[in-house]
Amino acid sequence: MSENNSLLSVRNLSVSFFAEEGVVRAAHKVSFSIKTSQTFGLVGESGCGKSSVALSIMRLIPANQGQIVGGEIAFDGQNLLELSEKQMRRIRGNKIAIVFQEPTASLNPVYTVGDQIAEAIMLHKNKDKTQAWKAAVEMLRKVGIKEPQQRISQYPHQMSGGMQQRAIIAIATSCEPALLIADEPTTALDMIVQTQILNLLDELQKQTGMSILLITHDLGIAAERADEVAVMYASRIVEKADPRLLFSKPLHPYTEGLLKALPRLGQSTKRLETIPGTVAEPMYLPSGCKFHPRCRTGCHDKHCQTFEPELKEVEPARWVACWHAPGYQ
Amino acid sequence: MIVPTLLGITVIVFAISRIAPGDPVSSHISSRGEFDVKKTIDVRKERLKLYGLDKPIHIQYVNWLWRVTRLDFGQSVKHNRPVIKLIADRLPITLTLNLIALVFIYAISLPTGVLAAVKHGRFFDRAISVFFLVLWSLPIMWVGQMLIGYFAGPAFKSWFPPAGISSIYADRLSFFQWLFDRLWHLALPVVCLTYTGFAYLSKQVRAEMLENLSMDYVRTARAKGLPESAVIFRHVFRNSLVPVITITASLFPAVFAGSVIVEKIFSIPGMGLLMFEAVANRDYNVVMALATIAGILNMIALLLADIAYALADPRVTFEGNT
Amino acid sequence: MGKQKEKKAIWGTTLGEFVQQQFVKRPINMVSLVCMALLALMAVIAPVLANNKPLMIRIEGKLHFPLFQNLSPADYCIFLAATVGFLLLLLIRRNHSNLEPSVRGAVLFRQLCLSCTIILIGSPLIFIFVPRRLEAADYKAMIAENKADYAVFAPIPYGYDRTDLMSRNLSPCRTHWLGTDDVGADVLCRLIHGSRTSLSVGLVAAGISTLIGIALGSIFGYFGGKVDFIGMRIVEMVMAIPTFFLIITFVAFFPRSLLSIIVIIGITTWTGTARLVRAEFLKLRKQDFIQAAVSLALPLRSTIFKHMLPNCIGPILVNAAFGFAGAIFAEAALSFLGFGVAPPTPSWGQMLSSGVTTTGRFLWWLTLFPGLAIFLTVMLCNLIGEGLRDAFDPRLKNAI
Repeated sequence: MSENNSLLSVRNLSVSFFAEEGVVRAAHKVSFSIKTSQTFGLVGESGCGKSSVALSIMRLIPANQGQIVGGEIAFDGQNLLELSEKQMRRIRGNKIAIVFQEPTASLNPVYTVGDQIAEAIMLHKNKDKTQAWKAAVEMLRKVGIKEPQQRISQYPHQMSGGMQQRAIIAIATSCEPALLIADEPTTALDMIVQTQILNLLDELQKQTGMSILLITHDLGIAAERADEVAVMYASRIVEKADPRLLFSKPLHPYTEGLLKALPRLGQSTKRLETIPGTVAEPMYLPSGCKFHPRCRTGCHDKHCQTFEPELKEVEPARWVACWHAPGYQ
Repeated sequence: MIVPTLLGITVIVFAISRIAPGDPVSSHISSRGEFDVKKTIDVRKERLKLYGLDKPIHIQYVNWLWRVTRLDFGQSVKHNRPVIKLIADRLPITLTLNLIALVFIYAISLPTGVLAAVKHGRFFDRAISVFFLVLWSLPIMWVGQMLIGYFAGPAFKSWFPPAGISSIYADRLSFFQWLFDRLWHLALPVVCLTYTGFAYLSKQVRAEMLENLSMDYVRTARAKGLPESAVIFRHVFRNSLVPVITITASLFPAVFAGSVIVEKIFSIPGMGLLMFEAVANRDYNVVMALATIAGILNMIALLLADIAYALADPRVTFEGNT
Repeated sequence: MGKQKEKKAIWGTTLGEFVQQQFVKRPINMVSLVCMALLALMAVIAPVLANNKPLMIRIEGKLHFPLFQNLSPADYCIFLAATVGFLLLLLIRRNHSNLEPSVRGAVLFRQLCLSCTIILIGSPLIFIFVPRRLEAADYKAMIAENKADYAVFAPIPYGYDRTDLMSRNLSPCRTHWLGTDDVGADVLCRLIHGSRTSLSVGLVAAGISTLIGIALGSIFGYFGGKVDFIGMRIVEMVMAIPTFFLIITFVAFFPRSLLSIIVIIGITTWTGTARLVRAEFLKLRKQDFIQAAVSLALPLRSTIFKHMLPNCIGPILVNAAFGFAGAIFAEAALSFLGFGVAPPTPSWGQMLSSGVTTTGRFLWWLTLFPGLAIFLTVMLCNLIGEGLRDAFDPRLKNAI
């Protein structure tokens, strides 16, 4: 627990991946912090680097695929990047847990659901098999699966997608982590199940007081569920604020463009507004501000083309990285 | 599904024997019948009738099939004994040899495959790949003959016996000595039978492991905080085993067929050697019997592999395929 | 060259070119391919490399060319086939640089038909017009008796059917570089001529098995339903008997000759390719572009050959390469057991079997060299097969 009551504090995190063409910077000087019992939303398009941030916090990036090249991740008084692998393993699944996008692929098809939940419990809580199974049944009940006694000995392929995701949430929360990272937890599910899962996460948060890092590309989900939202573009955070402020009065042209592109009920215009241009290629990012080729003001501005703006606090609890944002020096 | 295939095996074997030019009877009479043409024709007709070869072909097949179901494969022309007795003598030896070979193949390939996958891209992996490719290309008869020449003969080293499965004085030995003697005799043949198998299987294990290593559930396992060894063995390996079991289905016939050459080289009195002799001596009954039995054994092995697969993979039920 | 690049830019890269680029990337592939070509070359010009008769001999002032005069019609046929094949390869290269991709298939087909016709018409003609000469003139004796002025022999001056009972079972020495076998024939010479046997069996048998596999597999896969069900049962029946056992069973009942060996190996090893093609066809049938072709009432021939088969060509080629290796191995195994080609036709397997005499004597040169020949040939085919597999699916490069 360091200053500002924050549970997790990420400062200047930079992550690189090794691709065939060369080294790609997936996240560059990403900084944010999450308080206890807070839901932090990280939004952005596919490929902007949100998942890399999640994997870096857990240090789950395989050494032959990429590495963390800079920054510091302060969690519960420790810098996660300085821990040994053994110490990190005690945190994974225990203090910090993660839920991924594809529930079907994330469960091992040859073991029962109960086995997979009990595995985590036995690992961290020092229980034996019978106790772990009892706890697993209890977890299934908590995540809202009916008849947990029967479901516990079923295999993943015998469950629906929504139930599988609940099972994964059960695995993740079985050891009562302080932080739950949810990397696009509902993208592979249909709308109704989506709401159910998100409600479940909310409930678990109320019960256990854990924080949630909610990664999504859906602005609506972020607006509804998060207490603070950061928008990522081309491996950088471009704006960070309370969602009510962020979505009612966006300061960064990218956020503005995103919001304008959303179709609204009662909208009479025939054509949707789009952000001109295409997403920057991770290998060939433009100089200066990464968004400038697509920005109405930035594409003509020499300053935007040469110098990259840093994320600065322009109002209390409002951060933006844009030369032309009001109050930005 | 099994019964039609079994029937099919018999059809194929029977068809091969009948498509061939010539008939089994000609060889019986050619040495005697040159001088009296009419008598030759009469004798020939009688012989054909004796063997039932004058009936239409589908009746011949049914007759043969009926006899086969009662395990009556006829008489061996060379040995003058019922074929089934010959096979019964030889079958246990070949099966023992094959089973030992299979056990060794699995015992060696599984660890090497897993290691190669875990150390993917590094020296061990590359070296093993090259080594196994070379092994796979080595012809069995060459290896067998070289082994005999260099390790079982007077020319070089004499560490192993060159032929047979037991020494002459075997019946005078105690049980353990007899067992050791047996194994000593079987050592070289087993080496010959296994090396191709484990080159192939190890490659498959490695490929499966590599594919499973990049699966999402492995990421989940790591995210739980499991140590890497548990991830590899409890998750990746366990999942890789499943398709590897089906490979037994193709491994068994390969090892069994290899027995023919290995038993001939090492003079092991098994089914392979019997097949070799039967073909060399044109002992048709034995050849047909052996082909049929080989097919049946293969089907049993396939069936066992299927059952094992269904047991290992919970997604497969007993009713049908996935 | 600028025009070339322009053309390339418009045409893009076809699958064939892509595979070629991937194949060439790894040096081991090119090395194997070159070695294979050299082996094929050696097999084609075998009678010129190793022959009893001298290339050129001068008797009483007149030049004779006994070796060339005594080439058998079969040798000429092989020369013809090799030349046609080589010219075809050159033509294909020209196709790739001059024609646009969509017409290459049809043009190639026409060229293939033309070459097959040339070979098929040329062979009987050769057999009719080239006399089979049984020249008993013993040139070596003539030279020994100084009847000839000078003579130029082939690099290995022994014939493969030479029997010289004076020099049986000699270990390698200066006159016989790799030794002799039990009837006195030079081992090196028989190795070279044996490559003809092995390569021809490998090529034709693999060709037959691939063609049968493609034909059956496409029928089962395309029609599906009942046809597929019955077809798969047949495939299972054939696969139920271990392949080598099946081959030996055939061999037991049929007379032994080179042709029967080739046909037998061809008709017992098609199951792998058939299963592959059937699986691909079943998958392709459901795909939209095939359904579109069918709905446009394209003729069946066109759908199968132009749309479906080219998608399967990768696995088919890979299987063909491994089938080639397997056929060579099967022929060697059969000859080793004594069921293959009979002497004097040279065969590596048969030479290998004479490495251990009936009295148990181990003749290392008769075991090492033929075995090495089989091993190297099979390994070359395996390397090429692996290279093709990696070239067609670079993802699988991780799973060597």
